[in-house]
Amino acid sequence: MTSPLLELDGVTKRFGRVVIAEDLSLAVGTGDTVGIVGPNGAGKTSLFGLISGDLAPGGGEVRFAGRTVTKLDAAARCRLGIGRTYQVPRPFGDMTVFENLLVAAQQGGGLRRRASYTAAAAALERAGISGQANVPAERLGLLQRKRLELARALATQPTLLLLDEVAGGLTDPEVAQLVEIVRGVNAEGTAVIWIEHVVRALTPVVSRLICLTSGKFVGDGDPATVLADPAVREVFLGSEVTAALAGGAPEAPAAGPPDGAAGGERSEP
Amino acid sequence: MSLITETTARPAGKLRVTRSRRNVAWTGAGALIVVVVLALLPYIVYSGTTSIIVQAFIVLTLASMWNLLAGYAGLVSVGQQVFVGLGAYFVLILAIHGTSPFAALPVAVIACAVAALPLWWLVSRLRSGYFAIATWVLAATVMLIIERFSSIGGGTGMPLPGLSGLSSVLLTAYTYWAGLAVTVVALATMYLLLRGRLGLVLTAIRDDEVAARSSGARVGLARLLVFVVAGAGCGAAGAVLAISQLQVQPGAVFSVQWTAEMAFATIIGGLGTIEGPIIGTAVYMVLQQTLASYNAWYLIILGLVAIIIALWSRRGLWGLVDEHLHFRLFPVGYWLWPEDVSRPSRLLSRLRRSGA
Ligand SMILES: Nc1ncnc2c1ncn2[C@@H]1O[C@H](COP(=O)(O)OP(=O)(O)O)[C@@H](O)[C@H]1O
Ligand SMILES: [Mg+2]
Repeated sequence: MTSPLLELDGVTKRFGRVVIAEDLSLAVGTGDTVGIVGPNGAGKTSLFGLISGDLAPGGGEVRFAGRTVTKLDAAARCRLGIGRTYQVPRPFGDMTVFENLLVAAQQGGGLRRRASYTAAAAALERAGISGQANVPAERLGLLQRKRLELARALATQPTLLLLDEVAGGLTDPEVAQLVEIVRGVNAEGTAVIWIEHVVRALTPVVSRLICLTSGKFVGDGDPATVLADPAVREVFLGSEVTAALAGGAPEAPAAGPPDGAAGGERSEP
Repeated sequence: MSLITETTARPAGKLRVTRSRRNVAWTGAGALIVVVVLALLPYIVYSGTTSIIVQAFIVLTLASMWNLLAGYAGLVSVGQQVFVGLGAYFVLILAIHGTSPFAALPVAVIACAVAALPLWWLVSRLRSGYFAIATWVLAATVMLIIERFSSIGGGTGMPLPGLSGLSSVLLTAYTYWAGLAVTVVALATMYLLLRGRLGLVLTAIRDDEVAARSSGARVGLARLLVFVVAGAGCGAAGAVLAISQLQVQPGAVFSVQWTAEMAFATIIGGLGTIEGPIIGTAVYMVLQQTLASYNAWYLIILGLVAIIIALWSRRGLWGLVDEHLHFRLFPVGYWLWPEDVSRPSRLLSRLRRSGA
């Protein structure tokens, strides 16, 4: 068996006394689709940071495409094929949308001139922001900023795409369109790891679901099985996840949802 | 609002990207005329005027380099005077050994670029406030080391040899042309740098360093390059300074006042724009010439002007122009044309091909 595309081996990370990754091990193969759910503050975004190189682990190893990348910075990992979006969008505000994507295509994708223009235009098209190509990114609203995040990650020509809550705040038809985009990207062989509170966005795409809470995986496998897992249900008691799984009303409303499990987007500008 | 537009991916051949929405030929022609007029100035005006303009050249070169550092690479250096001093001393050392100071100038520029490498190694791991302080300390240290060599004037400095053969008229004119050449090369280098791949990277770093990194930008490498270029540019200004002053004094060439001037001109003109340092230098020179006799008031007024402009417009005076007129003298951006818009003028595409 060939080695997986991404491998976390006993990765640990703490912020002071807060444990955000406790001995996490994970293998994701080429072209896999993995969904990650978990309450707010579980460490999902931090897990992406550990994979993309924004965060240095306190212990353990990260391997990508057959190399140990634990010591590599985010730029080097991006060049190897890890493209990520940020939950709170981080556009290059004074650059146009097209220029935002050119940076990604030229630096992350290693493309030159025309090839980079073509890649950037393709990413624009794909994320549905072609109309804003020449608009300074700071003038975009939140939803368009999220599309820009997706487009910029795509422009780096990733073999592993990390999506951090890109569906938050979208209407149902918009979620459906987003699902189509991600499916299309995946169909071209790009592996996808997708963090999402909106579980209905995940289930049509991912073949594997992981539940993360307090820096630990409590469920990992087929989405239906994971969502049925009592341990996972406990984490999401009364939240949207339980509702999505059961296809009915939350069972124990008295228990109250874990910290904003379904409403994580509210705090954003 | 739909998330995907129902269009098929456009064929690569039809994709049209230009470096500006407008025709930049007039800017190019205008810049050329300005340079030609400036080059002819020594034949027209008195030497008092040209020596003031030489000062302006020095400030403009310094401001442009500081703009690259602080406005793009996020490196707020308070120690750029180290390169002013080194540039001046490299010219002095070469002149002592019999080289004409004018011939020594380009050598001094290269030497400053090389000197920037070890200095970068010393300060590169520090950020923001620590970086600023470290550069300042470094500049002071280099000055203290140089002052220990009595063969190049020690703590008092010495006159620049090798220029006594020239008549004062010729010397003034040559100095002026050297200053003009340094400024034109510095501005052209900055423009080409910002227009190229590195320019996109630097602008991205300026806007969001974390996102730049995770988009694949080699931030450290880009910063090193900018530090080296800025070192060379400030060294060139220092070399012109030595020639125009006809002497090199450690306290004068390594003075932190150079950094104050370059920062002032950049901030009032517009940090992070190519045009900003040009406007800023003009404003600075006017203020300096009109207020020079007021001594302490001069500095107070300078400080007030900087604060007022910084509060009024984040991108300085040029920021106001850009905001209201959407106009750039030196466009470095990219423009993706929608398929149905008519082609830009032939002149523009020809200019692009020759300028790229
Ligand atoms: N840079 C940081 N310094 C200190 N604590 C942090 C930092 N980043 C995240 N945290 C904390 O780590 C925990 C996990 O955060 P995060 O990974 O963003 O969770 P999630 O994405 O699952 O909501 C939170 O309690 C958060 O406050
Ligand atoms: Mg998060």
